[in-house]
Amino acid sequence: MRATIDPQKDYYQVLGVTQDASIEEIKAAFRALARRYHPDSATGDAEQFRLVQEAYDVLRDPAQRLAYDRQRASLGLSSDAPLQIKSWVSASVLPALESEQLLYVMAEISPKSAQGTGEQPLNLALVIDRSTSMRGTRMENVKLAIHEFIDALKPEDRLAVIAFSDRAEVIVPSVRGTEKRRLHAAISRLVPSGGTEIYQGLMTALEEVRRYVGGRYVSHVILMTDGRTYGDEELSLIEAKRAAAQGIGISALGIGEDWNDLFLDALAQAGHGLSQYISAPSQLQRLLQQHLRGLSSVIARNLDLFVKPAEGMVLRSIYRVRPHIGPLPLPEGGAIALGHLSDESIGVLLELVVQPEPPLGEHRILRFEVEALCGNDLKRTRLRHDVKVTFTTGEVPPQEVPARLLNTLARWSVYRLQEKAWHFLEKGDTREATTLLQSAATRLFDMGQRELARVAMLEADRIDQQGAPSSRGRKQLRYGTRSLAISPADDKLRS
Amino acid sequence: MSDESKGTAIICPACGAENLPGTLFCTECGIYLPSGGPLRTEPLPDEQEGATSRRWVQESTLGVNQLVGITIEVLESGRRVPLALEEGKEIFIGRLDAVHGIFPELDLTNDGGLGHGVSRRHARIHTKNGVCFLEDMDSTNGTYLEDERLTPYLPYELHDGDIITLGTMRLRVRLHKRAA
Repeated sequence: MRATIDPQKDYYQVLGVTQDASIEEIKAAFRALARRYHPDSATGDAEQFRLVQEAYDVLRDPAQRLAYDRQRASLGLSSDAPLQIKSWVSASVLPALESEQLLYVMAEISPKSAQGTGEQPLNLALVIDRSTSMRGTRMENVKLAIHEFIDALKPEDRLAVIAFSDRAEVIVPSVRGTEKRRLHAAISRLVPSGGTEIYQGLMTALEEVRRYVGGRYVSHVILMTDGRTYGDEELSLIEAKRAAAQGIGISALGIGEDWNDLFLDALAQAGHGLSQYISAPSQLQRLLQQHLRGLSSVIARNLDLFVKPAEGMVLRSIYRVRPHIGPLPLPEGGAIALGHLSDESIGVLLELVVQPEPPLGEHRILRFEVEALCGNDLKRTRLRHDVKVTFTTGEVPPQEVPARLLNTLARWSVYRLQEKAWHFLEKGDTREATTLLQSAATRLFDMGQRELARVAMLEADRIDQQGAPSSRGRKQLRYGTRSLAISPADDKLRS
Repeated sequence: MSDESKGTAIICPACGAENLPGTLFCTECGIYLPSGGPLRTEPLPDEQEGATSRRWVQESTLGVNQLVGITIEVLESGRRVPLALEEGKEIFIGRLDAVHGIFPELDLTNDGGLGHGVSRRHARIHTKNGVCFLEDMDSTNGTYLEDERLTPYLPYELHDGDIITLGTMRLRVRLHKRAA
């Protein structure tokens, strides 16, 4: 008899075996369970017995089992994905209102187990700004950090080094991690001169990385600059998007105060990487090392997130909140590219507007789907996660907002305040910008972030009196608020 | 059906902005709405009343021109703390002491409260019939309103712009009336 396959049921779980269980294990599990649930036995359960039989009928037959596994995988129900999705809502029971109401939903995508897939080989390029402004200790600090970076490379990694000013130069073409002496020597010889033209440097670096892109390599370009580029921003962004489509990530590190933060943010976002502010020399070493670790511990690549609100739910905003806070484009039916997942989880926060008079009872309000390339064979894997809440006309019980969500919201709302302030400033509304920064200062103070609160207060005064913030203060706030760390301890505070 | 489920906007006690029901942080000024006060790292345990009573719902018992909020500015640090005012609800001012279960709505620990001689339970603010009162709670170093020392446990009326002194810490009061 041919069994019917129902991919919605987890047959492996029914039999209590893992997905890679051998046929002997499956047989043994079936015999034990059949004995327990057989209707004639004292512990009999006809319903359960039937289910055990159905599971066994499918899993005992290799062809059926394969078909079942494929169906599950295509539905995102497969349990062998190395990642998982968890979610939090600001309230799980909501009043059925005659007007709109707001619900916050946070989702986190994280590796399922701590071990990961082992170290991934890297295919990297460092793009170094060698313009005149880098002269002196700044360049020496960069060199020092890069020397350490080179030392940490594994033999199977690849690294190219590109220096740029008005034009770009390949200092070392893409070589293996075994050629450390050659890399060190080239870095030592680097002398600053000329202006800053990022596009040339970026293009040259991408050329080097493209030579080895593919296979198991994690390909990435790290740009370090201390200045502004003029007129080639648009071209650079187009190039970054093209690179991202080929699986090459781009990160941007801004050194000092004079670089264009909006441009580097956009570049890193287009390149699915990170943009960061380096205010002290020691930070550069730490960040480069962090980058190296993060890239080699990648467990899933090119994550695409699909957000599907149910009928009657409208997505108002979506932000990345982990590891750093930042805006994401509204998906409008398409995928949101989240880059690679390393051992650090990726979090997104959504504002969902519940339309008036929602249907009563428990309902799915949102579905998350993640597609990613997983494992050493880069298998395309799908994962699904539903978010449900209950609507009632009765009394809504007092509910605690989950601590992790609440703490994230507090930080996200401060980040938004200061971003809004810059937005108003751009439009010439110094009054509104001042008020927003003052509010941000108060919130930061409440959170115990006294240093950032002080900066916000100072910049609010500057804008109020001179109409413009300091370049340093603005960067401290923008990069400080986006990376307000959410420590694991935050989760325990309220328990 | 509770009042809240009629679904009116949440009016921010600090800036007056309208927020959708369910909003936790004011979209205009970022204040934590359920407590109407500052969020330290998380709302403290003593604020766990029913969600309905904590929300700032437009349909309250307050009439037009009633007090809806108070902002206390700590002159030393420049910190401004907006707090909600509600008939029958008290705002305690002092220093947080979790061990002894003292969770003041306005915690002056981070403003150097100890050095200024602020007691853990120093003073309280409450409203009655639309008038806002300040009361010293027999603090060690006393409470002053416009430089006049208050007799402990006697309510004194607060006005917009008043300076309160706790020990040696000076605070300025801003009262927010609800716009008609």
